Amino acid sequence: MRYPKSYDVIIVGGGHAGIEASLINARLGMNTLLLTIALDSIGQMSCNPAIGGLAKGHLVKEVDILGGEMARNIDETGLQFKILNRSKGPAVWSSRAQADMTAYRLRMKYTLEHQKNLDIKQEMVDEILVENNEVRGVRTNLGNEYYSKAVVITTGTFMKGKIFIGLNTYSAGRAWEPPSEKLSDSLRKLGLKVSRLKTGTTPRLDARTIDFDALIPQPGDDEPIPFSFRTKELNRPNIPCYLTYTNEKTHEVILKNLDQSPLYSGIVESVGPRYCPSIEDKVVKFFEKKQHQIFLEPQDEKSTEIYADGLHTSMSYEVQLNFLRTIKGLEKVEIMRPGYAIEYDFVDPTQLKQSLETKKIRGLFLAGQINGTSGYEEAASQGIIAGINAAFYLLGKEPFILGRDEAYTGVLIDDLVTKGTKEPYRMFTSRAEYRLILREDNTHLRLAEKSFRAGLLSRDEYEMIMEQRRKIEEVIKRLKTTFIFPTEETNKKLKMLGTEIIKTKTDLAKLLRRTELNYDKLRELHPELEELDKFIKQEVEIDIKYEGYLTMQKQQIEKFKKYENLKIPEDFDYTKVGGLSNEVRGKLMEIKPTSIGQAMRISGVTPAAISILMVYLKKHNDRFKNSA
Amino acid sequence: MQKHDDDIIAAIASGQVEAAIGVIRVSGKGSLSLLEKVFSKKPPYEHRKIYYGFIKDKFGDVIDEVLVNIHKAPKSYTGEDLFEINAHGGLVCMNKILERLFEVGARLAEPGEFTKRAFLNGKLDLSQAEAVAKVISAKTERALKVAERQLQGQFRSTLDDIRDKILFLMAENEVRIDHPEEDLSSITQAERLKMVSEIKENLKKIYRAAKYGNNLFNGMVLTIVGKPNVGKSSLLNLIVGQESAIVTDIPGTTRDIVKESFSIKGIPFSILDTAGIRKTEDVVEKIGVERSLRAIDRADIVLAVFDSSSELSDEDLQIIEKLKKINSEVVAVINKSDLGQKIELSKIPFKHKVQISCKTGMGLKQLEDKLESIALKGFSDRELISLNASQMESLKKAIEMCEQLEQDIDNDIDPALIGVDFLSLTDYLDEVIGRITNEDMLEVMFKNFCIGK
Ligand SMILES: Cc1cc2nc3c(=O)[nH]c(=O)nc-3n(C[C@H](O)[C@H](O)[C@H](O)COP(=O)(O)OP(=O)(O)OC[C@H]3O[C@@H](n4cnc5c(N)ncnc54)[C@H](O)[C@@H]3O)c2cc1C
Ligand SMILES: Nc1nc2c(ncn2[C@@H]2O[C@H](COP(=O)(O)OP(=O)(O)O)[C@@H](O)[C@H]2O)c(=O)[nH]1
Repeated sequence: MRYPKSYDVIIVGGGHAGIEASLINARLGMNTLLLTIALDSIGQMSCNPAIGGLAKGHLVKEVDILGGEMARNIDETGLQFKILNRSKGPAVWSSRAQADMTAYRLRMKYTLEHQKNLDIKQEMVDEILVENNEVRGVRTNLGNEYYSKAVVITTGTFMKGKIFIGLNTYSAGRAWEPPSEKLSDSLRKLGLKVSRLKTGTTPRLDARTIDFDALIPQPGDDEPIPFSFRTKELNRPNIPCYLTYTNEKTHEVILKNLDQSPLYSGIVESVGPRYCPSIEDKVVKFFEKKQHQIFLEPQDEKSTEIYADGLHTSMSYEVQLNFLRTIKGLEKVEIMRPGYAIEYDFVDPTQLKQSLETKKIRGLFLAGQINGTSGYEEAASQGIIAGINAAFYLLGKEPFILGRDEAYTGVLIDDLVTKGTKEPYRMFTSRAEYRLILREDNTHLRLAEKSFRAGLLSRDEYEMIMEQRRKIEEVIKRLKTTFIFPTEETNKKLKMLGTEIIKTKTDLAKLLRRTELNYDKLRELHPELEELDKFIKQEVEIDIKYEGYLTMQKQQIEKFKKYENLKIPEDFDYTKVGGLSNEVRGKLMEIKPTSIGQAMRISGVTPAAISILMVYLKKHNDRFKNSA
Repeated sequence: MQKHDDDIIAAIASGQVEAAIGVIRVSGKGSLSLLEKVFSKKPPYEHRKIYYGFIKDKFGDVIDEVLVNIHKAPKSYTGEDLFEINAHGGLVCMNKILERLFEVGARLAEPGEFTKRAFLNGKLDLSQAEAVAKVISAKTERALKVAERQLQGQFRSTLDDIRDKILFLMAENEVRIDHPEEDLSSITQAERLKMVSEIKENLKKIYRAAKYGNNLFNGMVLTIVGKPNVGKSSLLNLIVGQESAIVTDIPGTTRDIVKESFSIKGIPFSILDTAGIRKTEDVVEKIGVERSLRAIDRADIVLAVFDSSSELSDEDLQIIEKLKKINSEVVAVINKSDLGQKIELSKIPFKHKVQISCKTGMGLKQLEDKLESIALKGFSDRELISLNASQMESLKKAIEMCEQLEQDIDNDIDPALIGVDFLSLTDYLDEVIGRITNEDMLEVMFKNFCIGK
């Protein structure tokens, strides 16, 4: 049937990408439809029961300031909260929380259900409807045709998903859920390049059969910090994870049974992630390591299922059981669900623009694991960007794009559309060049302006954040212009604070730079300083203590921007540029970089090719507008 | 004159040295109709054909008998219509032909401009063009060999070593950040410091090899000072010859009369203010000490000439005082040693001293060795390289960055901040050792460290 109601935007898939895309469209006033295979698995965590983590915490907070839901959702359903890398500098602090998977999923479902402008239906999309390279809508497995002006596809691992446990295989989108067998064929027909990737998950264990007393508990922080800048107070339990290790016996069981692994017996040929190797991979590749860490994590406050982080495997059930029982604390363990590997179709992301719209078909956007990424946070951040851009496309607005110098989300998307990926792409802080500026703690400060201008942030929230910024600047200025003198009394106090005395007139900012001093200690020295809110205090300290490095990083960004601002027109004709090798020309024509900066990041595009391009663009100056 | 990339350009392509046959190259859109105006053989001109005829001046008189070969766009070296005139009438004649070409609309090509056009028209990629340019610009056989060696990438292995070390250290630093929960057996602080210091030392070595390598490419400027009659003019004649061996100035343009170029042991040198030193047969000009000191600020090396056969005079002492204050290298040339030694050498405070006789030629070899050792600082040709000014500047900053890194690693500061140091380091080294991307680093990280949950 041709469905009588037509929509502005249709979202295909109710995973982490689809949720954000749906909500932001509805919140921006678009008439939105979400189609997903199973309503009961909206917001399902396919793998580990956790949100955030290194670099991922940044993504969650960026989604939050752009009007997304992930941060708020985990703030209400977390089982423990922790800042990772606390012992290192603020640039790499990352928030992570264990989630009550069930509560997480249900709260997401309710949030969607109560969102204005959003219809939700349980149907599987089989085909994308396109006319004249412009999207028209979708056709589902029930034969329904839904019409819309934009479509966002977020199908995760479901397209032609195939699961491997030992030498057994079966078709599935994820564990027991049905796969989407037809959609990727429809995408192929539209001319998109589709390939295969692989990922895996760990066995789920029965808590009643684990000897936790023998293991090292890992609780969350005593003073948990919420993900969302909107959350005023966290009211959640602090349930520990447990740490244990594999040992030589474990490794022996695995090595003896490699023929039971679909990876090593050659059944699975697609590429899995290097950073998230299966335990069999780790044992083989890092033969010299005698043990690997395993974290046992709660999946749900009430359930007895335990997630065994660090044990991704697709060995046979028997081997899984045997090696598990060699591990301390797991001697008598029972498996509730085995680990498995899954192979699925993904769309080569170099076929996308920075807005996540396909270059081939107008109005068709892709987000999440379908673009070759892995992880809930990576999915959510693409979901929100694709969602915003679907809405902006309909509203006739310029695409909403974050630069590598603005957000981890910007780094993620730029990497994907510029370089593509050969393995499931996961975010790392090391992928971001400018992470001293792109910190997690200042996410809302750095993105508020952009978010507000795009209509993603309310005026009240914006004003509140601007007030914080003003306050921080004011305090910094005060510290830089308040001087103390080397009087006997001052130096006595300094000694008491455990720091060097001063010999000349010194401003307070300079003192604050000393490792052993902080704002509160300065107040002891100089009681006129006002008491500050915890967050403001932290930002002031970071800004002052790291000033030298922040300045250096800002210079690095300036250098970076020089090339980003050398724009290449969309209709630029590379065939006219002599001197480029066919390979390089082919790449440039495929990726269509929007700037020299982006062109420089395309793999295989040599510095020599860039020089030719720059010379050529300069020669044709009239068409070469420096947008800066 | 405004210069454009679509002008017709012309230049002598065979070098400036007198040779039996000289070649003038002309390139640009419309260059063939320009040929028509000056050449006795009229079109059609075909690609890769050679035509015999005469170049005539504006009155129709023959300048020279020539062969002209034709290369049509886009198949020529520059990718444009191009022809080459092979003339045998010597420099004077070639200059006349050039002037004739200018009359009908060509302009003098700038150094490297043919190559630049080849590059712009897609005939060369930049790295080739750069290499070719370097080879072209080499003024001596020796510089050419060094340039070619660098082209063949012998210096690559040092760069690769630096690159590998940086990547490893970056990956190691990143592992601390991104995978703190892993109990990765990483290297010790002392080992990290050692690697940084090795990187730094290597960079310094490159810097020095390039600094002195550039002397070989760009040459060095000499000046000769000394009181009247001490033998300056004789010295000039001895090392340069009566006439300069190489003239860098382009014929037809105003000639810079005060500078003469020549080479010693394959190192190009030029001498400033030779007009003040050289004496022609009829004019016997005695120049004063003041004039003799005129060019010392612009010189890399000052040859201070003293008379071995007499004691140091006030004028000599005055010169010594002046030279003590300058930064350039000073070589005391003790001349007229064939007349015996009255001069007290210990009173001459300069490190480099050479005893010589311009009359007998004694000591010339020692002087040349001295000049070579000052120019190349004992680097062998195998070690020397050439880098451009901006690469040198970047290298310098990279070396400073290594120092900062050493300090920061020593203080065991936050790895994220060390990451900022590394980013600056790789930014600086971009032009020298090639771009290091995060992707490269991750590659190394996954290979060397067991990562992942
Ligand atoms: C076995 C496994 C292991 C993983 N391991 C890790 C890990 O170790 N670390 C990590 O960070 N991430 C891991 N992930 C990845 C993480 O779960 C995903 O990256 C993330 O959930 C992707 O979000 P998404 O929104 O793109 O897709 P998903 O969360 O997969 O959601 C896709 C949604 O689309 C719906 N859908 C699919 N096809 C259709 C269709 N044709 N019509 C309508 N609806 C459709 C599905 O019902 C589902 O609701 C793993 C995933 C799996 C399956
Ligand atoms: N015996 C001897 N005479 C020299 C030597 N060098 C130069 N003269 C003579 O010294 C005189 C001055 O030399 P000249 O080069 O004109 O000196 P200038 O005024 O410094 O340029 C000339 O008559 C030269 O022939 C030398 O090494 N030995």
